[in-house]
Amino acid sequence: MRAVLGVLRATYNALRREQQSRLKVPANNLYYAAVASIFMLDPTLAMFVATVVLIVLFFPLSADPLRLAPAFRLGLWPLSRGERGLVRAISPWLNPVTWLVAAFALWRRVSVGMAALVSGVFALGFLAPWRRAASRGGILRIAPRFPGALGSLVRKDLRGLLTTLDFYCALVPAVAAIAYRAAGLLPKEAFLWGTLLVLLALSTPAQTLFGLDGRAGLTRYRLLPMAGWKVLLAKDIAFLLAAVVLTAALVPAAGLAGALAALAFGRKTAIQENRTQLRWRLQAGASFGPALLQIAGTLGAASFEHARGPLVLIPCLALWAVSLWWGGRQLDAGQLA
Amino acid sequence: MISCRGLTKRFGEFAAVDGISLEVAPGTICACLGANGAGKSTTVRMLTGLLKPTSGEATVCGLDVSRDSLELRRQIGVLPEDLGLFEDLSVEEHLRLTADVYGVSDSHSGKRIEQLITGLRLEPARHTFAGRCSHGTRKKTALAMALLPNPKVLFLDEPFEAIDPVTSKTMRDLLVSAAARGVTVFLTSHILPVAEEIATRFVILREGRLVLNASRAELEGSLEQVYFDLAEPAGTVALDWLGHD
Repeated sequence: MRAVLGVLRATYNALRREQQSRLKVPANNLYYAAVASIFMLDPTLAMFVATVVLIVLFFPLSADPLRLAPAFRLGLWPLSRGERGLVRAISPWLNPVTWLVAAFALWRRVSVGMAALVSGVFALGFLAPWRRAASRGGILRIAPRFPGALGSLVRKDLRGLLTTLDFYCALVPAVAAIAYRAAGLLPKEAFLWGTLLVLLALSTPAQTLFGLDGRAGLTRYRLLPMAGWKVLLAKDIAFLLAAVVLTAALVPAAGLAGALAALAFGRKTAIQENRTQLRWRLQAGASFGPALLQIAGTLGAASFEHARGPLVLIPCLALWAVSLWWGGRQLDAGQLA
Repeated sequence: MISCRGLTKRFGEFAAVDGISLEVAPGTICACLGANGAGKSTTVRMLTGLLKPTSGEATVCGLDVSRDSLELRRQIGVLPEDLGLFEDLSVEEHLRLTADVYGVSDSHSGKRIEQLITGLRLEPARHTFAGRCSHGTRKKTALAMALLPNPKVLFLDEPFEAIDPVTSKTMRDLLVSAAARGVTVFLTSHILPVAEEIATRFVILREGRLVLNASRAELEGSLEQVYFDLAEPAGTVALDWLGHD
C-alpha cells in the first residue's frame, strides 16, 4: 500500500504542477481582452472570450493523470498486479475535473443530453487519443511542404503554431463562423467581429515567435548560413497563412491587415523578451503596455481595412516590412534574448 | 585552417576558456579532450561563431569568427552540444532543410541524403519527428546535417557518445577518409580509445587552460596515461553500503 500511495502522491504532484502551469495565462492577449471588457462594463464580451478559452482548456485538463508518470518507470516499479489496478482506478480521481464532471452528472437540473455531452468531452480528454496522435506528429503532418530555401522552416513554424492552444482558441470562432455562414445565420455585421476575435486569439504567438524552438532550435538558427530577416520571414509566412486561412470565411483582407500589424507590433517582444514557451498551452507574451499596443494595432488595422478597403494593406505591409528589417538586424547582431 | 590566439571567454569572474592559442592544419583530426567543465564546448562554440570571445582572436578558413559569421557558417559543418534540432521536423526533413539552406543542388542533395540516411542507419526513423527520436538517432541526424553541405571544416562536439558501435565505426572511417582529402576535423570527446585511434593532434584543456597541444608523434606514452597525468587524476569512490544487506 505504501508503494501505491507513493505513486499516487508523485502523480498528484506532477498533475498539480502541470495544471498550475496550464492555468497560468496572464500576459496572453485573450486574458487582457477579457479583463479589459469587464472594466468596459461589457460582461457579455468577457464571458464570450472566457468561454472560448475554457472550451480549449477543458480538453487537455481532462487528460489522464497517469500519463504524467514515465511509462518505463511505471513498468519498473515493483508493484503487484493488484497494486497496479488500484493505481489505475484511483488516478483519475486525482484530477479535479473528474469530480466536477461527476457533480455535473449528478446535478438533477442538468438534462441527460447535456450530462452526456460534457461526459463525452471529458472522456475524449481523458483518453486523449488526439494528444497522443499529436505527439507522434499525426495532426502536425497536415502542414504541407513549401517550396524554396525557406520551405522547410515555414512548415516547421506552422507545425509549432498548431501545438499552441492560442491557435485552437482562434479555431473555435473560425469554425463557428463557417457553420453559421453555411446555414445562412451569420449577419454581415458579425463578419468583422469574428475576424477580430480570431486575430485577438492569434496575436500572442506573434510575440513568442521563438518560444517553441528551445535552446537547440536557437543554436541551429545561429548555425544556418541565413540572414536574420529570412529566419523571421519564415515564421511570419507561417503566421500569416494561419491568419488568412482562419479568417477566410469571414473578412480575409481585414484578417491579413490585422495579422501584419500583430507581427509588426509584436516584433520587439518576440526578439528582446524571448521566453521559452510550452506546447499545448496558451502562450505568454508581453506585459500589459506592449500587449495593449499590439491589441490596439491589430484590431485597429483590421477594422480600418474593413472600413476603407484594400489600400489600407499598403501601410500595414510597409510597417511589417520595417519590423522585419529591424528584427533581422537584431538577430544578425545576436540580440535574440 | 583553424587558428586562435589568446582566446578567452569569461562569464563574470569565471574564465571558462583562458587564453588558448593553437593552430590546426588542413587535413588534421584534432581531438580536444578534458574533464566536464574544462572548456571544450565553450571553445567549439567560440570557433563556430556561436559565442563571442571575451578577448583574443580566432580564424577558421581564414575567416574571423566574430566578424565574418555568415560566410563562416557556409564553410563549416557543426555538431553542437545540444544537437540543434527542431522538434517539429522529421529526420529526413532536417536533411532537406540543410540542403535547401546551404544551396546544395537537387541533383546532389537527393543522393547525399539517401547515402547519409543509409550510412548512418537512420532509415527506421526517417519520417519520425526529432522530438520523438532516441538521443542516438537525434545525434546521428545532427551529424548528417553537419556532413551534408560538404564542409571544409567539421566541428563535432562529442560525436561518438550515445551512438551505436556500427555507426561509431562508420563515423570513424568517414572522418579519417575525409581528413585524407583535406577536410579539417575538430572534435571533443570523452572516449579516449576512439580519439587515440583517429586523431592526428591532441589538445587537452584543464580548467579553461591549454595543458597539451601535441601531434600523435609528439605524444609521450598512451593517451590515457597522458590524460590522467594532465587533465584529471583517476580516482575511485567507495560506497561501503553497496552490495551489503
